[in-house]
Amino acid sequence: MHEKTRFSTALGLLFLLLAAVLILVWIPLDTETSYVEKVRRKLTIGDAMAPTVAAVILALGGLLAILRPGSDTQLTGANLRFLGLLLCTLAVTFAVMRWAGPLAANLWAEVEYRVLRDTAPWKYIGYFLGGTGMITALITMGTGRFRIHHMGIAMAAVLFLIAVYDLPFDDLLLPPNGDV
Amino acid sequence: MGVLDYIWLGILAVFHGPELFAIAGVPVSVTIVMVLLGFLIGIVVGSTPGLAGPMAMAVSLPILISIFGFTPDALLPVMGFLIGVMKGATIGGAVPAILFNTPGTPDAFMTTLDGYPMAQNGEAKRALKVAHFSSASGDTFSDIVLILCAPFLALLVEAYLDLPEKTALLILSLAFISAVIGNSVGKGLISMGLGLLAAYVATGEDFYPRLTMGVPALSDGFPIATAVLGVLILGEVFKGLEDQMNERAAGRAAAVPAQNADQKLTGADIKGLLPFIGRSAVIGTLIGALPGIGSTLAATLGYASGRRRQEARGGKAFGTGAPEGIASTEAANSSVSGANLIPVLSLGIPGNAAAVFLILAADSIGGFNPGPSVFRFTADEVNPELVIAFGLFTTMMLANLMNWTIGGVFMRAMGIMIRVPKHILLPIVLLLTLTAIYVQETSLAAVWFAIGFGVMGYLMRRVGMSPLPFVIAFILGGNLEATARQAFSATGGDPFFLVKSPIAAVFLILTIAVVIFAARPSPAKKAEKL
Repeated sequence: MHEKTRFSTALGLLFLLLAAVLILVWIPLDTETSYVEKVRRKLTIGDAMAPTVAAVILALGGLLAILRPGSDTQLTGANLRFLGLLLCTLAVTFAVMRWAGPLAANLWAEVEYRVLRDTAPWKYIGYFLGGTGMITALITMGTGRFRIHHMGIAMAAVLFLIAVYDLPFDDLLLPPNGDV
Repeated sequence: MGVLDYIWLGILAVFHGPELFAIAGVPVSVTIVMVLLGFLIGIVVGSTPGLAGPMAMAVSLPILISIFGFTPDALLPVMGFLIGVMKGATIGGAVPAILFNTPGTPDAFMTTLDGYPMAQNGEAKRALKVAHFSSASGDTFSDIVLILCAPFLALLVEAYLDLPEKTALLILSLAFISAVIGNSVGKGLISMGLGLLAAYVATGEDFYPRLTMGVPALSDGFPIATAVLGVLILGEVFKGLEDQMNERAAGRAAAVPAQNADQKLTGADIKGLLPFIGRSAVIGTLIGALPGIGSTLAATLGYASGRRRQEARGGKAFGTGAPEGIASTEAANSSVSGANLIPVLSLGIPGNAAAVFLILAADSIGGFNPGPSVFRFTADEVNPELVIAFGLFTTMMLANLMNWTIGGVFMRAMGIMIRVPKHILLPIVLLLTLTAIYVQETSLAAVWFAIGFGVMGYLMRRVGMSPLPFVIAFILGGNLEATARQAFSATGGDPFFLVKSPIAAVFLILTIAVVIFAARPSPAKKAEKL
């Protein structure tokens, strides 16, 4: 069996399995009404119908992916390693974005961050640090080495985004200020 | 109110809308300025490898909505801007293709085949002029077809299609999009199934939000911006970041050689190009009118058709720097953009990413629901949606006018965009997109949903699955379910409501035929097996 055929078969089987889980387990357990229900003596379509149709389409797609493998593209270990690295980078930089402002307020302000979340410079701390970290880390991933001027570019880009999204508008909140 | 009255009101809505400033006492409306701004930004974005029109649309939408608010007055400036971006990006893609052998947008790949050799022969400016003329011609032709066809198609739909037929038409459209995109109908159907499934999370009519597993964060479903921007934009950015890592060792783009050849595009040159432009414009418009078939296929078919004609008449061979090759490609891929709006405006079915963002804008602002109901020519009272529709047509013609007048000059100045390093650009676009999602949804959970959809979009691209059926199914999923529910109730709970009407039955037969036709092994694959 060709490697591409093997990959398409695995992909098809994965979605056949997902469709079976959806139809047999998830949809029956996680919807309130069945495929059809009676409301005031009239038959109507229930909440389970549409997701079941989606699951049948997934099953059909899975079956056709097995029978008619079309492309020679497939997922590699390198792809998954890149994805893991990317998600770790995003998780760390978003954690910085979320907690840097409250931490700074805890250390240097007399009131809690929630009160300061629409006050400069407090409201920019998390976004600036997290955003700069995210851009710098991703540029470093792309080029394979850390350079200080990349951090400078990242800072300039974040300041530009603050100028675009925050300075002209009173009704827009930069991350993470809507969550704190 | 007659048809001409509505057309006139649409034109007035654009030119006599809220005034931004006046030139010599002549008021300039904000819509005109927004179309111009969108058009220029579109050229810049299209000229920059790694960026695309939908990215610019995605990040600018929350800013535009913040500026213009959620009133019907916001519709024309915001959608005019998006239309400007769409048109600008279409012509911008040819610039790096011709100058540096790097297509700015995927549909400009065929432009490299003749554009780059022309630049190497010292005819870069002439090649850009050919690309601009062909692109503007194809785009204008396509818009005229849109303006003439969309209202009639919508009237036909409203006159002849009832709820069961509309349900069947939605099923046919989704099946068609899934079957024709990519090279595997199975993967297209999986993409569509996933889109429908995501659309059905936490929606429905019961009190309990279905398929949420009791998770409170899912109880309102996935916000449309997170799914659309995640799969379309973040997925592409993630892929671009990885490609960038893999291409780290690749060299810089070659410098443009000295341009000493004759750069003029004469009337005789244009006369010679017109048959190629005409054929490609018709091909592109026909392809664009069918939802889901992208401009890349149009460019390929337009180029192939032009090459056959060139071989028959014995001109300069395609692929060696023939202006006819550029004309065939650019007229075809540009004529897709206008025709792509035919299914949106007449059926409410988005056919490409740009149309998705127009629907997203209309959905966010409110007061305009693209679809057949827009074209109700009410005589006794004004139908505001119809005025907006004719206003949109006016903005398209305005963008075409800008394309013909300043587009060429601006486009030829954009060669500099190749110098923008992709490894710096993509991380900034990522933060920009995530910020755009956050300011719309004001929740980090929404950002993580978007990243999750981005991962899905990345994986789809890596396994050769087009993300477009997902996005279109996500947008149409709710509508499909609601129409089917209404049709089922209206027919008194008839389980065969989809096959009782002859038109609906024909649509369903076509649905099955499309899937079977797309799934059959092609002659090339059969030969490969032998």
